[in-house]
Amino acid sequence: MRRKALIRDSAGIVALVFGIAFLGQNVPRPYADESIETSPSKVERKNKAPISRDVLRVKLPRPIEAKLQNGLRVLILEDHRTPAVFVQLHIGGAGALFEPPNMTGLANATAQMLREGTQSRTSVQIAEEIDRLGASLGAAGSFGSSQVVLNASGLSNNFDSWFALAVDVLLNPSFPKDELEKLKQRLRAQLRQQRSAANFLVNERFSHAVYGDHPAAIVSPTSESLDALTQAALMKWHRERYAPQNALLAIAGDVRAEELIPQLEKWFAGWEMIDVKRPRPANPVPATARKVYLVHRPNSVQTTVALGNIAIDRRSPDYIPMVVMNHILGGGVSGRLFLNLREEKGYTYGVYSDFSALRYPGPWRAGGSMRTEVTAGALVEFLKEINRIRDQTVPSDELEDSKRAIAARFALSLEQPTAILGLAVSRIQYRLPEDYWDTYPTKIMAVTAEDVQRVARKYLDPEAMQLVAVGDGVKIHSVLESYGPLEVYDSSGKLTSIPKTVE
Amino acid sequence: MHEQLVKTAKTFVAGLIILVSLAGTPLESAESDHDQTATKSTKLFDVVFKEFKLNNGLRVILAEDHSAPTYSICVTYNVGSRDERPGRTGFAHLFEHMLFQGSENVGKGEHFILIQNNGGSANGTTNAERTNYFETLPANQLELGIFLEADRMRALNITQANLDNQRHTVQEERRQSFDNRPYGKTYEAVVEAAYVNFPYQHSVIGSMEDLDRATVQDAVDFFRIYYAPNNAVLSLVGDFEMSVALNLIKKYFEGIPAQPVPPIPDVDEPEQKTELRKVIEDAFAQAPRLDIVYKIPPGNTPDWYALSVLGQVLSGGVSSRLYQKLIKDKELALSASAGPDERRGPSLFWFSITARPGVDLAALEKLIYEDIARLQNEEIADWELSKVQMQLRRQRAQQHYSTRSRANSFGHYAVYYNDPQLINTLEQKYSRVTKGDLQRVARTYFQENQRTVVTTMPKPATAKGASENR
Repeated sequence: MRRKALIRDSAGIVALVFGIAFLGQNVPRPYADESIETSPSKVERKNKAPISRDVLRVKLPRPIEAKLQNGLRVLILEDHRTPAVFVQLHIGGAGALFEPPNMTGLANATAQMLREGTQSRTSVQIAEEIDRLGASLGAAGSFGSSQVVLNASGLSNNFDSWFALAVDVLLNPSFPKDELEKLKQRLRAQLRQQRSAANFLVNERFSHAVYGDHPAAIVSPTSESLDALTQAALMKWHRERYAPQNALLAIAGDVRAEELIPQLEKWFAGWEMIDVKRPRPANPVPATARKVYLVHRPNSVQTTVALGNIAIDRRSPDYIPMVVMNHILGGGVSGRLFLNLREEKGYTYGVYSDFSALRYPGPWRAGGSMRTEVTAGALVEFLKEINRIRDQTVPSDELEDSKRAIAARFALSLEQPTAILGLAVSRIQYRLPEDYWDTYPTKIMAVTAEDVQRVARKYLDPEAMQLVAVGDGVKIHSVLESYGPLEVYDSSGKLTSIPKTVE
Repeated sequence: MHEQLVKTAKTFVAGLIILVSLAGTPLESAESDHDQTATKSTKLFDVVFKEFKLNNGLRVILAEDHSAPTYSICVTYNVGSRDERPGRTGFAHLFEHMLFQGSENVGKGEHFILIQNNGGSANGTTNAERTNYFETLPANQLELGIFLEADRMRALNITQANLDNQRHTVQEERRQSFDNRPYGKTYEAVVEAAYVNFPYQHSVIGSMEDLDRATVQDAVDFFRIYYAPNNAVLSLVGDFEMSVALNLIKKYFEGIPAQPVPPIPDVDEPEQKTELRKVIEDAFAQAPRLDIVYKIPPGNTPDWYALSVLGQVLSGGVSSRLYQKLIKDKELALSASAGPDERRGPSLFWFSITARPGVDLAALEKLIYEDIARLQNEEIADWELSKVQMQLRRQRAQQHYSTRSRANSFGHYAVYYNDPQLINTLEQKYSRVTKGDLQRVARTYFQENQRTVVTTMPKPATAKGASENR
């Protein structure tokens, strides 16, 4: 669930942040709450499995890089295993990060409208043509992102046809008024629908809590901001912000780079450089005091929680130790959080942690859903695990396992050309060194227990964390109050008072 | 099909026998003359594989692919929620969780730890028909995946503490995925209304009450009866040498004893005589949802493939009929999907439409029936049929990268239909569907007396809720 929110800008990097760990020490068995377990269900290592101690060092294929005359950067990764081609066009400077505050949703609506009509094709013609070719085509922009992304994929034997269509919607959109009204109607209908999901509510409140005034706090348009979206506004956004020199075209699959690049020059010949102002908003800063947010969602049978604080950006020197630290604590199905709260306590179907590191600092965050009755016990365990990784040095075998897991996992990315391409895209977007991914395993292996503890102490301060809980407020508000100053919201997003016991 | 598979397993008792060596040879050469206009311009890629059977009945499918230094292993057991008995709904899936709770040489939770520490990923899934377990690992950890799957098939460790722990986990899964979500209970309501016979009449996740009832003895019995080598298919796809892999498989699996052939559930359904209707309330839904289902034949039958094509015509892609009409033109729906589910017994063709708030559901339902009548009375356009073929082809090309996708498909086709070669022949089965077939199946199966209609209504806001279970 949260992965979706985190991956939005970082093209697959976060996907590498995966889990590890073992409970090398016997944690005193804790906290008994109303979930009675008389006999313990303990995680155990027998160490009898046959494993190869070698980490398979893989060399990632490098995509071919080129720059077209209009400044458009191109990455091409040839892969001829199957007759498929994937295309991603990242257009920097056209994302929601730069939207006027009264027009939230403008970047995404502009992107979505691309396929709703061009100078020579109607919306229906585009839809039919794409489907007849067996291709897919769509563009979208997510909140908090500096870019919009156009995605297209299809077969290689008719690549020219569907790629030409993708170029047409990119360069010649007509933004028909009637289609815009229809899109706005669809987006309006979603505004209400999304509020029924606990995950949306927790993301909305957590983003506001950690990002404050930064535009990344916004996770959805409003009905007023949708009203403000006019054909003229979309045309202007497209005309003034879709600039080739700020874009990156990434292609993977069954194509020949040397033949394709000259063709790309022709396809994109009409796309001219324009000057785009991209004033970056001031970076979000970590909260300094703990605050608690309750979103009262009547009838909930689980509490969905998120806790964390602003941590680092993608170029931070602490990025690599953060990857390892997060992996140990909550990076997957062998993270400490999962093993404790699920495998030992049976509180949850799954709890994880993750962090978002983009051009600006994003939050580290832990969370998950658990039945209402164990909300108190689960919060105790979350904080206990956070304190443990801050207060105690990670045992060396647990650390070594974790680093090994991250390094060994590289091999799996070789199955999917889009995964390899994603690594190259992020290297370029975050201006990382040429050999960044080649030396990444070495950098991971160099992380020490002291590094792990240092970043945990620096970025995971329980006293400054923002804690959000979505659930049955009648039952859980007293638990939350004990964690700090409490603000209560209803599921429409409005500030309200502590819900009373009903009737 | 099911019976055939089990019988085959029983007859092979004399050591290792190579069953087939297919290597891309079309199984059904008689079909090669048929029209492939939609596909001829793109190169074909067959998955080359070999099949073996161990003397304990374990079916083994191996496909080498050295294009990436990885492999996937999948063990598919021929047991699913349809094998459960009344009072134990959800048990097959709860038991799936038990396979991660340790075995003779693997500690509780160690499975995930071993997989992740060595750079892999793993999971298990359960549906009505089968339960599968799979791992993807770097190629140098070939022995690890084989060892882990064998150890738990041979000597699973079942304890009260671990059962209780996973009972809680599964109950949380139920809350997270169903009870705490809009429309989370709709699926259950539909299968309960549409089916009469128990095996398909309940959900895979099961009820809270039945999950509470599961005992250690249930687990011990279930393991013995269903988790036997002769009731499983092991598929391995990726970067390994076939002889090395086969020797490892023999080393770890061959000593696991076969068990008596498990009973086969009777999934037959009595003929439905009249339309069935049901309305449920949903505390989280903001808009009403309409589910209309029709009883249809089992998967891998010509009519099922035709119905699957109809599903794509109705809701596959933005140019599809339901999207263009209900979502875009008339602005009546938030989402619309149509298509068959796939079972070895009577299956269901689903229309699932989330209406916009305030929309007249009766009028919406009438519009669906108009679309159905159109399918019954008029041939679909040529471009609609060729579109579906192209979409399928692309889907197959994109799935092909993943070793896991191929390993899981082998298990699926072998357990369901005793035909792993379907991985290569599926496209032919689809391309054989004609416009006449589409009209015929629409007339045959989309009949009023064959349908079940479930309406999910938002619960009025004044109602007091917070009930744990239904």
